[in-house]
Order: sequence, then structure tokens, then C-alpha cells
Amino acid sequence: MSDLDRAIAQLRACRPIPENEVRELCHKARELLIEEGNVVTVNAPVTICGDIHGQFHDLMELFRVGGDPPDTNYLFMGDFVDRGFYSLESFLLLLCLKVRYPDRMTLIRGNHESRQITTVYGFYDECLRKYGSANVWRYCCDVFDYLALGAIVLGASNTLSQPEGSQPGGQDVEIEVCNADQQIISRFLRKGSNGGGSAGGSQAGGSPEGTGRGEGSPNGAGEGRPTTNGFGEGDGPPAPSNTGPPGSGASGASGGSLGNPAGAVLCVHGGLSPLIDNVDKIRLLDRKQEVPHEGAMCDLLWSDPDEIDGWGLSPRGAGFLFGADIVKVFNHRNDLSLIARAHQLVMEGFKEMFDASIVTVWSAPNYCYRCGNVAALLELSEDDSGLGVLARSNGDVNRSDGGMGGQGPRGVLMENDLLGYNRAGPARRYRVFQAAPQDSRGMPAKKPVADYFL
Amino acid sequence: MIFGNNHLTLLHRPSSYTLSFHAEPALDLVDKTGSNGLLKVHYAKAWSATREKTSSSIKEVVKPFDWSYTTSYKGTESPGTNGQTLQQDKNARIPLELLQRRDPILFADEVVLYESELDDNGVSVLSVKVRVMEARMLVLCRFFLRLDNVLVRVRDTRVYVDFEEERVVREYTAREGEFNEVKKKLYMEGLMPDQITIAFRDANQLAHLLPVVEQEVESVCLKGTGVASPQEGR
Repeated sequence: MSDLDRAIAQLRACRPIPENEVRELCHKARELLIEEGNVVTVNAPVTICGDIHGQFHDLMELFRVGGDPPDTNYLFMGDFVDRGFYSLESFLLLLCLKVRYPDRMTLIRGNHESRQITTVYGFYDECLRKYGSANVWRYCCDVFDYLALGAIVLGASNTLSQPEGSQPGGQDVEIEVCNADQQIISRFLRKGSNGGGSAGGSQAGGSPEGTGRGEGSPNGAGEGRPTTNGFGEGDGPPAPSNTGPPGSGASGASGGSLGNPAGAVLCVHGGLSPLIDNVDKIRLLDRKQEVPHEGAMCDLLWSDPDEIDGWGLSPRGAGFLFGADIVKVFNHRNDLSLIARAHQLVMEGFKEMFDASIVTVWSAPNYCYRCGNVAALLELSEDDSGLGVLARSNGDVNRSDGGMGGQGPRGVLMENDLLGYNRAGPARRYRVFQAAPQDSRGMPAKKPVADYFL
Repeated sequence: MIFGNNHLTLLHRPSSYTLSFHAEPALDLVDKTGSNGLLKVHYAKAWSATREKTSSSIKEVVKPFDWSYTTSYKGTESPGTNGQTLQQDKNARIPLELLQRRDPILFADEVVLYESELDDNGVSVLSVKVRVMEARMLVLCRFFLRLDNVLVRVRDTRVYVDFEEERVVREYTAREGEFNEVKKKLYMEGLMPDQITIAFRDANQLAHLLPVVEQEVESVCLKGTGVASPQEGR
């Protein structure tokens, strides 16, 4: 373990570790990843991140803004490598953290975690340059083949956790946007909650696209979930919402599985596939291979949402686009309230679409060191209603009471709330951040040399 | 990615003649309907073949447009006070021998107007660079498209300004070659496979290997008083 901690420290300083250590690390990582299913189950609270693309110093900034692992539970949605100058350090650090804290770090595969793509877009060259041979690239590619294809976040709360000392959550905030210094830029109340409309006035940029101001999102869980069964027909405490693991079709929670008071969140790098109408079908794929050009696995890593009806073909002649109806039906069928994906640059760092049924999260600020975009993280809080979630308050009664203190049995109250449309969907906190300052990169500011071009 | 605030503008003060390079008019020349046929990624056939059985009902290409963002942009001209504009001129040429001289460069810069990674299928970039020497200046506005395993396109617009003669020569050269042909030529030049991958990112290493498919030369004389002066914004 101390070897691993040393490797983490060295990588955090942006210094690559020796080839034999990489081999060992990749071996351990493979052993760990092979045990994971194609769709990993992650419990909230969790911080969801999009593309990193070898922008190591911005990854450090991400950890500064989002909290250091393992204190923060992270889920990275792929594209760790290529384009940036430090793919190697970025990926190996994430992999070290995965091996060191397997339950606090989830890595899923992006389309760049592939031999073919890394050969063209930089990671291969970087390995060759830094080690003099392609061995390290090969070790890493072997790990890529074992990365999960998606993740399901369970137990995300309808309300945001508040930092200690701040005012209790009297308002029903659905979306909160914070800057890198933990200051709130804007807040969006749930539609139909007390006072309606937007709270605290959203100013200064960063208004979530796709959701009207203060409009919340009447999407997903509310309409997406069949009216909660279990309530009233069973005895004792109300059953956790209606399902076992999302997509499993199981009725009633089987032992130990977590309910989804706010509906589960599916995380995947690209998007949906016409071959996948059910999360279980992802679980059936044979993922341990190079990203193929055909089939569902390819689609999950490559497809994009678009403002269309149904499915469409990309004008490129390969790749699917999918519209709002596809997302909503999929979410309904699978008891999901939200799909989180990455894959596409968004200038604001995140972009909610289709009544907040899908969100793109992008975590590479100033992409390629010149796009001028900001990056974002998506934080989902832990549901502490006690509904379907194992109590974790360790006897500290008021800790999880939040704004609903003393109003009867919490589970029941939440259950009632869930029946309404407007409380659906997990509360989302986006932390928006900029690129790390240039001088921290050890790179001279790019000054084009006068060149006698013809 | 559109760098909409970037531009390069050449202004001839005495005549108010300008020639400028902006992203927007360049993108306006991109085929917006796909009616001239669309490029396809190299695995398009394989991709759609394997979908026949399972997803054949999905046939419609959504909002077809030239997703390679190919443009034949040569700059935006605004005539001088006497109506001077560039005219076709078969005899005009850009004096390479003068430009090869190592005259001190007084000003040089490069700006990108737009760029796309084509969803990881290559690169499409329109950039413009300039160098100003004591007696002349050269602008190169280059569109570079590499569609992996399909083709390479380089469309160069060179603008040469002779300060003494107050003459502007604009030369547009479109080159295009099949990806595998280019690869073969790079190999014949003695490049190792790794170097070939790197060469494919650099239009400078590819342009001379591509057959010319279109060429056009124009010129205009702005003789009067004063000299052209470059203005650049980003």
C-alpha cells in the first residue's frame, strides 16, 4: 500500500512512475475492474465528472474544487486521455486512486479509451516520448478493455446537502450552480415549490441551458415512475420505491438493494443505443474488447443527444443521434430520473437538455488549451430521507433531518412528496471551474515564433 | 469551435480597400444542405452494414450538412474608393524567391478562425497567418481537412502585398488526395509509421503531396499614395 501511496504522491506532482510500476498498477487495476459489471452501481453522494483529456493541471483544479479523493466519491465518465499534454499522468493517477480507494473512485470508459483512437490523438505518442517504448501504452490499453461501460447512481437526494453553518434548506432547490470558490452563482427552485419561480435571482452567467429559469424539471421520475406501489398495501414501513436495481425489472427491493427516492441516474460516456431499451441489456454485453465500430457498445460511447424526434443518423455516415422522446421513454422504462453523459464540449461546462432528463458534463476547462470554455462537476447528494437507503446517521438523529425536522415519520413524508410531479429528479449542484493558471503548468505561454512560411 | 472574435484585416489606408478574414463568412460557404453529397467516415459502410438487421428503420440523416466544414473562403473584400477589386490575372504570381529571403520579420501572428475534431474522425481547421517584412507581406489562409482513412484536403489562399508597388496578389490553391495515397507518399519519403501519424497532423508536411485540383490567381493595384498596413484583432 505504501508503494501505491508513493506512486500517488509522485503522480500528483505530475511525474510519471517507472515502467515496471505501471505494469504492476495496470495488472492490479485489471483484477479489480474484471470484478465490476458493465454497469457499476454507485451510491450517492457522488461527484460526476466528464472528459479530462490529459489536462493534468486542470484535474488537480478539479480535485481542489470538488474535494480530494477519497473524501469525495468520484465518478469519471471516460476520456481521460488524448489531446492534452499529460494523458499519462492523468490516467495513471486516476487508476492509482481507483486501486487505492476502489469504492470511492469509479471510472467508466470513453471513446478515447481505445487503441485506435489513442494512436491518432496523442496518448500513444506521449507514452512513446516519455518511456521510449510503447509498452506503457499497451498496459494502459489493456486496462481500457476492462473499464465499465456505465454506472447507475442510487440514493441521490431530492434536496441538496448544505455545508455546515449555512441556512437550512427551507427552499426547495433543484439546481444550484457554484463557482470554484464555493459561492453560489445561481439557484433554481423546483417548479411548483413554495414561492415558485426562481430563488435568489440568478445572475452572472451560468444559467443552466435547457431549463427555463426557475422552471425546474417536471421530467423523469414523477411521470417516469409508475405510481409508487408498496405504499399502503404492505404493512409496516412503506416499501422503498418500486424497484430493485434499475433496469432489473425486479419488483420490490430485494435484500440490500437501494431504492431510488429521486430515481436513479445513469452515467455513460456518449449516450443511448437503439439496441438498448433496458439497462439490463448493457449488463449483457461482452465489454472486454477494443471499442468496436458496431453494436451497442459503440453507441454507448459515441452517440449524442440532439433536438430531433426519435433516432437519427449522423451525417458522418456512422453514429446515432437521439431525441427527447427517446430519453424520456428510456428513463421511464428504467426508473431513471436523469442520464448524465460527457463526450461533447459544452462551453458552460454542463448542459441540461430535454426537460432536464439528460445532462452533458464537461470537465476539461479551456479544452485543448484554447477553447476558452469552463468546466463543471455534478454533485448529487445522499438521500437522507431514510427511504430505502440504509441509515447511515449512526445514531446522530438530527444530522439527516435537514429542513423537514420533526414532521412525522420521514419515510412517509418523502413518499408523499414523491407522488407529486414536482419533486422528481435528484437535486443537482454544479460546480463550475476554470483552467488552472498557466504558470502552474510549467509550460511557457505559447508565443508563435516568427516563421518564414510560404 | 468557432473563434468568432478572431480576424485578420488588411487595410490600404489611402483607398480604404480592405481584405479581411473572418470565421462567419467562411462558414457561410459551407454546404448547408448536403445536396452535393456528403463525405462519410471510413467505417460508415461497415457501420451501417452491421445495423441493417437491428436498426434498419433508422435511415434518416438528421439535418444533413457538410460536417467537414469544407470552405472555399478566400477572404472578404471591400472595394477601394475607386472601386478597386481583385481581378483574375493569369500573369500574376507570388514571388517566392523574394519571400524565401530571410528579411527581418517585423510582425507575425496566427489566428484560428474555426476548428472541429469531427467527432474524432480527423480534423478540420481554418486558420490564417501573416508575416510582415519591410517591403512586403504574406498572408496564408489555410483550410485543412484530414478525414481519417478517407482523404486530405488543403485549400490555401495566399495574399501577397508589395508595399512599393501597392499591389495585392491573391492566389487560391485547392489540393486534395486520398488518405492512403498520401500515406504511401509519406512512406516513400522514408518516414517511419510513428512519424507518419505525426505528419498527418501537420498540413505543412502534407500539402506538397496532394494533387492540385483548383487554382486561381487575382491581383489588384492600389497605387496612389501611402502603403497598406495590417490590422489584426483577436
